[in-house]
Amino acid sequence: MRFNRSVAALLVGLVLVASIVLLAPRASYSRQDRDATLATASRQHPAGTDELGRDRLVRVSAAFLLSLAGAIAASAITTAAAAAVGTLAAFGPASVGWLAMLACDVFLALPWLFLLMMVRSALPLTTSPANSAAITFLVLAALGWPACARAVWRGALNLRNAEWMLHTRASGLRPVQIVRHAIPNLLPLLVPQFLVCIPAFVIAEANLGALGLGVGEPLPSWGGMLLELDNSAMLMQTRWVYFPVALLVVVLLLLDAIAVEVE
Amino acid sequence: MSSEALLRVSLEAAYPGKTVLRDIHFELRRGEVLGLVGTSGAGKSTLVLALLGLLPWRGGRVTGEVEVEGENLLARSERRLREVRGRKVALIPQSPMTALNAAISLQSHFVEAWNAHESSGRAALHARMRDLLAEVQLPSDPDFLRRRPPQISVGQAQRVLIALALLHRPALIIADEPTSALDPVTQAQIVDLLRRVNRRHETAVLYVSHDLVSVLRLCDRIAILDCGTIAECLPVDELSKASHPSTRALLDTLPVPLDLLLSYRSSTAVAPLQLVIAR
Repeated sequence: MRFNRSVAALLVGLVLVASIVLLAPRASYSRQDRDATLATASRQHPAGTDELGRDRLVRVSAAFLLSLAGAIAASAITTAAAAAVGTLAAFGPASVGWLAMLACDVFLALPWLFLLMMVRSALPLTTSPANSAAITFLVLAALGWPACARAVWRGALNLRNAEWMLHTRASGLRPVQIVRHAIPNLLPLLVPQFLVCIPAFVIAEANLGALGLGVGEPLPSWGGMLLELDNSAMLMQTRWVYFPVALLVVVLLLLDAIAVEVE
Repeated sequence: MSSEALLRVSLEAAYPGKTVLRDIHFELRRGEVLGLVGTSGAGKSTLVLALLGLLPWRGGRVTGEVEVEGENLLARSERRLREVRGRKVALIPQSPMTALNAAISLQSHFVEAWNAHESSGRAALHARMRDLLAEVQLPSDPDFLRRRPPQISVGQAQRVLIALALLHRPALIIADEPTSALDPVTQAQIVDLLRRVNRRHETAVLYVSHDLVSVLRLCDRIAILDCGTIAECLPVDELSKASHPSTRALLDTLPVPLDLLLSYRSSTAVAPLQLVIAR
């Protein structure tokens, strides 16, 4: 428990630092300092600048907050959808349950990377960066629910057959009341699902960004910054290009530690 | 005790590929206590579920009639069945610990059960709860009601379930082996409690059990369930005249002669006697 709390405190600390960096006067993730492109650390740019002379610390902070907020939102949507589909499949008529689980299987079998490329290529080139970020996380949420829904379905099936569930029926409780009875029993299943999905979505967004399918420029994203790493000439110039990937690993470790601890 | 039939049953029940209950016929009068006795696997729990229209939830199918106050429940919609369950016919389940939802407080159990059939507010519920908890000899302080089922004893849980069953003053209580998970002392207390409820509120009780001693203490009549059918049904006082082999077999398991048990039936000295037998 102590470990869990310190990990959470560390993560909150990172969020605070990133917010302060972003809120500082003259901090801008898109302003280009043409006199200092690919600069190393300096008083003006504590983590150096990128190819276009944009402050790396500000961009990493923005990318961190954006990806965390997006991943949390996407995870909430995925978990809610999974809870709805899973409980409906377990408590509804057998045919509904069968259809819902078939939908899950179809979703799990889809070549989702290919699908994602199709979705992104179907979007007009004029899609704004903010929209591209929203779409990226929405697509991740849409892809994440089936595996989670299967887990919820199994848990809800156990509840459906539980003795106390039979007793609620024998007491004449309305369906709405029975669902209210069931939710506290599903929370131990839903909370870990929610927490596990967050780091998964953070890394998924980073991977998509590295393929050029994620959040659009000039909005900073982990993926966009990881792209810098495939230019060996840049790697020679300054070590600070490793900063985003190092922070990404730390954040993922923290998120995983929290998820594991709660589970 | 009026002679009007409160419950009239005539049914068959089956799970896929297997008939469990055939040719079940019996009646229960207002205020009467009928003991339903049978060996494990005789179909007792199936019958309980069938009476409440809950067998489909266990994958079973029931045909025939379950008439409560002249209304055949099996011909009614699920919505109408829901209105009857808990209000006219209440269930005291077999294993108290698993029959309560471990994730919510005792108070929430009462609130939900109350809201299922009543629209009157909290004040009415609290007054009713105070009376009920006193009747089943449980504390009614907020501290106790905030507890969750795993934080109370099995005996307390069974009392909570009895209080829940009495909440809407049902005409009939179906008690499905309510003492099987309890120690002998608590068993005797619960049987006494059921008897008191029956006397005080004229509530009819269908007492399902494999424990003949408690049935003899509590019931007016006794029905023997054997191989999915009612083998014999007779007043407890005339049990010595039983002729069916399965009834005789059950009587042979009694640790004390039947006459002796029956002579203690109306007296208050039964509880110590049952303790002696249980040992």
